[in-house]
Amino acid sequence: MVHHTPMLPFRVQFKAGAHAYEQVVYAVKKAIISGALRPGDRFPSVRVLSQELRINPNTAQKVVGALVDEKLLVVEPGIGTVVADARPATREQRGELLGDEVERVVVEARKLHLDCEDLLQAIRKHWNRLSEENK
Amino acid sequence: MNPVIATHGLTRRFGRNAAVDGLTLSVPEGSIFAFLGPNGSGKTTTIKMLLNILRPTAGSAGVLGADSTRLGPREFAQIGYVSENQKLPDWMNVGQLIEYCRPMYPNWDGALCAKLLREFELPLDRKIKSLSRGMKMKASLLTSLAYRPRLLVLDEPFTGLDPLVRDEVIRGMLELTEQEKWTVFISSHDIDEVERLADWVGVINNGRIQLAESTASLQTRFRRVECVIPDGTRLPASPPKSWLKPEVTDHGACVVETAYEAEISERRMADAFPGASAIAASEMSLREVFLALARNFRLKA
Repeated sequence: MVHHTPMLPFRVQFKAGAHAYEQVVYAVKKAIISGALRPGDRFPSVRVLSQELRINPNTAQKVVGALVDEKLLVVEPGIGTVVADARPATREQRGELLGDEVERVVVEARKLHLDCEDLLQAIRKHWNRLSEENK
Repeated sequence: MNPVIATHGLTRRFGRNAAVDGLTLSVPEGSIFAFLGPNGSGKTTTIKMLLNILRPTAGSAGVLGADSTRLGPREFAQIGYVSENQKLPDWMNVGQLIEYCRPMYPNWDGALCAKLLREFELPLDRKIKSLSRGMKMKASLLTSLAYRPRLLVLDEPFTGLDPLVRDEVIRGMLELTEQEKWTVFISSHDIDEVERLADWVGVINNGRIQLAESTASLQTRFRRVECVIPDGTRLPASPPKSWLKPEVTDHGACVVETAYEAEISERRMADAFPGASAIAASEMSLREVFLALARNFRLKA
């Protein structure tokens, strides 16, 4: 189900059954790294986050807390939470966004008794195929 | 922290039939507690006892620190209650309903009331009699939220509502989010309605509580564990007690582990299925946990 969230500067497409907390954190990180959320932008309050996403307020609180801990958001006294003036996303941070997907592929590969080299080869094959198609 | 609701052996019999049977339950302050169970499992009877609408046959319930049978105006001014089949005075219009409720609550918040009226798009001059089911539910919720109750009790609030109204109801309910020490007790027969809202769940079946736990703890404890097994392997005669619905197919086995501990659970799987390979544990959503439990109750019932 897609929530229409005009008040939120990022979109979350909840997958039924998956953890709401992880999905929201992921959506925010993606928005920051892609530039949809920029340094200095106001970040929604816990109430707005909870209301607009229809999630538990404690979950919303946990999302904000985690993003502050990771220094992606900062609390500005008298203003609220804003997007941190961070250096451009590092390769590593961008790579982290793929964490879940990579884990899933690794699990599937193991079920098929593939080793790491087999998996890398399969990835390279698809990478090259898509690069060819985009030429 | 003091629980907002605490019951001990709460029981209600109708004739020889126990609708609620020795229910012991504790609802922590600040939680959104989903009270889940199939239709007819005793949810409404429990709620009616909590709010002193029905007397318990045995046991007791404490609500906001008072015994449920002694709840009075002081407590009711801090409790919001909305139920699926609530009777509203049909002959009033929405404005009159609000004026009728307001004097009963010292904490009535006029600004919040006005905000909810706008969000719910409730016309003040419409007679309650002529409101749709969804509109009635919103009117009922508005008059229960406007005094910022410390405890909001919702009995199957979403039944029969279209998805749009359901969404409005959830959004309206979350207006109270910034209020400190705010607790919601919400009954439902459908996990999908509350999956992202609840941080505590209680499951009731045949009048008995099957489980009452924080969702965080449930999601730590439950894992689906799968493995590949040599052809012809059977399920062990007495599978580990922590397993739910173990299943064996031609070449694989899958169980729901209810006491997951890294490595230990995988070893348990290996011990139960000699020759098992590719043992993998995966996280389960609240919905999957609930379905596994619900299936298990039905098998036992």
